[in-house]
Amino acid sequence: MSIEVLDNLKKAIIEYDSQGAASWAKIVVKEGIDPTMALDAMTVAIRQIGDGFSRGELWLPDLVGAADAMSAATPIIEEEIKRVGAKRESLGTVVIGTVYGDIHTIGKTMVATLLQADGFIVNDLGINVTTEGFLEGINKYKADILAMSSLMTTTASEQRKVIEILKKEGIRDRVRVMVGGGAITQEFADSIGADGYDPTAPGAVKLARRLIGE
Amino acid sequence: MSLKGFTRNFKPLEILTEEEVEAVHRGTLEVLWVTGVRFEHERALKLFEKNGCRVDYDEMRVRIPPALVEECIRKAPSSFHAEARDYKKSLMLGDNNLYFGAAPGLQSVDLDTWEPRLATRKENYDSVTILDALPNVHFLCPYTPYFGFEGVPPCMAMLESQAARMRNATKCVCVGFSNDSEVFAIEMAQALGIEIMGTCATAPPLAVYRDAAESVFRFAEAGFPLRILSGQVMGGTAPATIAGGLITNNAEVISGLVLAQLIRPGMRVLVKDFSHPMNMNTGAPGFGSILACLHNAASNQIFRKYGVPIDNATCYPNSKMPDYQCGYEKAQRVLVAGLSGANLLLLHGSVHGELTYHSVQAILDDDLAGMVGRFMQGIEVNNETLAVDLIEEVGPIPGYFLNKEHTRKWWKLEQFVPKVADSLTYPEWMSTGKRGCLDYARERMGEILATHKPISLTPSQEEGLERILEEARKYYKERGLISEEEMATYRASMKSPNYPYE
Repeated sequence: MSIEVLDNLKKAIIEYDSQGAASWAKIVVKEGIDPTMALDAMTVAIRQIGDGFSRGELWLPDLVGAADAMSAATPIIEEEIKRVGAKRESLGTVVIGTVYGDIHTIGKTMVATLLQADGFIVNDLGINVTTEGFLEGINKYKADILAMSSLMTTTASEQRKVIEILKKEGIRDRVRVMVGGGAITQEFADSIGADGYDPTAPGAVKLARRLIGE
Repeated sequence: MSLKGFTRNFKPLEILTEEEVEAVHRGTLEVLWVTGVRFEHERALKLFEKNGCRVDYDEMRVRIPPALVEECIRKAPSSFHAEARDYKKSLMLGDNNLYFGAAPGLQSVDLDTWEPRLATRKENYDSVTILDALPNVHFLCPYTPYFGFEGVPPCMAMLESQAARMRNATKCVCVGFSNDSEVFAIEMAQALGIEIMGTCATAPPLAVYRDAAESVFRFAEAGFPLRILSGQVMGGTAPATIAGGLITNNAEVISGLVLAQLIRPGMRVLVKDFSHPMNMNTGAPGFGSILACLHNAASNQIFRKYGVPIDNATCYPNSKMPDYQCGYEKAQRVLVAGLSGANLLLLHGSVHGELTYHSVQAILDDDLAGMVGRFMQGIEVNNETLAVDLIEEVGPIPGYFLNKEHTRKWWKLEQFVPKVADSLTYPEWMSTGKRGCLDYARERMGEILATHKPISLTPSQEEGLERILEEARKYYKERGLISEEEMATYRASMKSPNYPYE
C-alpha cells in the first residue's frame, strides 16, 4: 500500500499535477507512511525531471510544472516530519529568493528546482524579498546556503545590502552566500563579498555542493 | 516540422494588381502568338501544327494561338500527387502546400579553406543520407547533391546521381535530361516500381532544344510528372525589366506546358521560376539579388491565377561560405517565395551558386526551412489559443504562465526550435568554446551519419538499378561519350568493396 501511495506521489510530480501531489501527500499522512520516505520519493521524481532538463529532453515549462507540484506536496510532508520528529537527510538547507524590487521568478525557480533534485532542502522565499525577509528565512530554516537572484542591474545592489546585514547581525560566517541572475557577473559577486556565482542553473547546483564542501 | 510539408494558412502576398497580372498575361499571349518559340524538334512541330499552331519549319518556330494556350493552362492540374519511394513521403504539389528541396552544387567545398573540390563517391552518398534524414527536405531535384563525383564520366553523372538518391533516400526524386539520360532514368524508376519527376529546361530567349522537347515526350509517355523551367537572366537572355522578364519566362515555360498537354492532356506539370538579373560586372546570374525575389513573387501570383503549381526561390547564394551574406540571400528568397505562394522552394545545401554544395550547409538550411514553414502555418485562433480563461486565472504579478498546463501543451505546438542555432547565454557560450551554428551543424552531420540508416532497396530493385546503369555505360561508351581512359578510371572507382556507397 505504502509503495503504491509513494509511486502515485512521484507520478503526480512527474506529470506536473499539483492537486494530485497534494492529495497523495495527505494520503501519506493519513496512512501513517514514513514522511521521510515520501520526501525521498519526491526527490527521485524531481531529479528525474531535472535530469531530463539537463539532457535537453525536457524544457522550462516541464521543470517549473514539476516544481509547482513538488511545492504543493512539500509543506504537508514537512509538517508531518516535524510532527513525528523524524530526521530528514539532506545535502544541506538552502534559502533562496529574488531580491527586493525584482519580480523575476523563472531563473530563481529553475535553480531551486535543480537544487531540490540534487538533494538539498530548499526554502523558496519567492520574489521581491526584502533584506529582512532573507534574514528571517535564514534564521527560521537554519540555512547553510543563501541563494539570491537579481535579473536587473538596478536591483543587483540589493544583494550587497543583504550581505552587509548578515555581517551586522554577526551571522555572515554561518551561511554561504551564492548569487546569480542576468545582471550578475563574477566581478560583481567578488566585489560584494559573495562566496560564489554561476551563470547557469546546473552550474549553481555544482557551486552549492562546492560551498558545503561536498 | 514534418515530412508532410507545410501549409500556408493566410492570404498570399500579392505584389501586382489584377490589371498588372492581366497585362503580363496579355503580353505572354501576344509573344506566344506573334513572336513564337523555336522548337528544335520535328515531332513537336508537327504536333503543334496539328493542334492549330502556325509552324515555320525552316525557322523551327511555333506560334501558338491564345485560345490554345489558355485551354492547355486549364488542362494542367492545379494540384497533383508526386510520388516518393516511401509512399508516405509523397507530395501534394499545389494549393497552399509548401515543400522544400535541395539546391545542388557542382562540387563540394573544404570546410576550413572554403575552396571547391570534386566530391568523392562516398561524400555524394553520405550527402544523400543527410538529405534523407533532414525533416524539412521533401524533394530531391536533378544533380542533387552533386553534379558529379570522382571517377564518373560527365555523361553518367546524371544517372549516377539519380541512383544515389534512389538508394540512400526514400523521398520524391526529380531528374534532368541530357544525351538520352532520361530514357535510362525512366527505366530505373520503372525497375524500382516508383515514379520520378522529369525536367524540361527551355533555352531563353524563347527556344526549346531537341533534348528538352524530347524529355517532354518521354516523361509524358511514361506517365510521370514534369517540371518545366527557363533559367533566364534578365538583361542578358531576357529583358532587364522584371515585367518584361515575367513575359519571356511565362512564354518559355508555358510553351513547354502546352506541348505537355498536347501530348498527354491533364499531364502533371510543375513550372519553375528560375529568373535572375545579370550581374553587370561579371555577367553571372545575380543569384542573391532582391530582384529575383520580386520576380518570384510576381510569378507565384500569376501561376496561382493560372492554377498551375510553381517551384521557385532556388537559393543559390553569391557568398562562398555560410556567412551573413549567405544567410540573408537564402532567407529573403525563401521567405518572399513562401509568402507569395510558391509550392516548392529549393533551399538546402548550396554554398556558392550552382558551384558548391555541402551537407553542413544543408543542415543549417533545414533550420531556415523549419522557421519559414512555421511562419506559413500562421496563427491558430480559437478559444483555447486565445486563452482568455487562463489569463483570468493567472491574473497580474505574481501570477505567471510558465507553470501552466496550457503552456506545456502549446509552446511546443507554437514554437519552432532550431536544431543548430546558437542560443546560449554569453557565459555558457564562453565556457563551451565559443561555438556557433556552423560548429553545431558540423557536429550534427556526424551524428546523422552515425545514426541514420536509409531504407535499402530490395535485392531485385538493386539488381535492376545496377543493370540499367551498366546498359547506360555501354550505350555512352559505344557512342563515344566515354573514352577508354575515362572508362578505365570509372571501372577502377567501382572496385571498392563498399561499392556503390564509396
